[in-house]
Amino acid sequence: MVTWSIAWLAIACIWHHILPMPQAHRQSATPKHAAPHRRASGGKPRGKVAITLRLDADRAARLQAIAAAENRSLTNYVETALLRDLARHEEADRVITMYVAPGTRSTVRPEDVVRAEGEPDEIYAQRQALAMQLWSMPDNA
Amino acid sequence: MVPGAFVRVLFPTHEKPHRPGLLHIGYVVITAGPEAVIAYTTSQPWPSTMPMPMGARYFAAREAARLNQSRPFLMRLDQLAKLPMTRRWFPDLEQPGRGVIAIAPPALQTDLTLLAVELGRRHRELVEMRGPSA
Repeated sequence: MVTWSIAWLAIACIWHHILPMPQAHRQSATPKHAAPHRRASGGKPRGKVAITLRLDADRAARLQAIAAAENRSLTNYVETALLRDLARHEEADRVITMYVAPGTRSTVRPEDVVRAEGEPDEIYAQRQALAMQLWSMPDNA
Repeated sequence: MVPGAFVRVLFPTHEKPHRPGLLHIGYVVITAGPEAVIAYTTSQPWPSTMPMPMGARYFAAREAARLNQSRPFLMRLDQLAKLPMTRRWFPDLEQPGRGVIAIAPPALQTDLTLLAVELGRRHRELVEMRGPSA
């Protein structure tokens, strides 16, 4: 009985968070509007897109409990979790992130690159070329 | 500090990218003059549901132990920092051992260099395709 009450509460919460969205029509998990945050030409940013999330009742109840413990709405909790995951995906897509300490040079001479002990000529040459590239790379962190 | 060394470094953080950050073990990719390029390492496990970045190299427990590290770790050759070799960034620089935890064996150094070179090539292509901010 208690479990069912929690489950219904969770479903009601999800429903509550979906219904008041500005767009009246709810959408499937793949929204029809691609790029919801893009500005229409010269206009205001578009509003958020409502999506329907189907979860089993136990999981919904657990998420609700976690969100409540963090003093967030369930919608905000789910959105934060998804944005965190998206950021990780974007990070995985980047090739090199370079932190550049203040005061470091932006060029390096190949002959200044320290050779590792026993390093073959070919590998050393590649590392010298890499050094030239990395030293000129701007900070993109 | 020699290339191929694992060294204690205050690797900068995303929040404060221009200041010494948290103490990590970094890998010395290149040293040139008074500066070095250091790769980030972490013992935090990578989420199994996430694709591993192409610059990541995982060291399992046994391999980590051979490098004097007590836990498995992930090296991120795609997360680099160009740092002056000073005590501000390398807190043990003036201590005996200079904060060096281990030196990678030559074969591993070669593998890591080739991976870094490949990343550099891909990065160059990305910059050419998308522009310098990529």
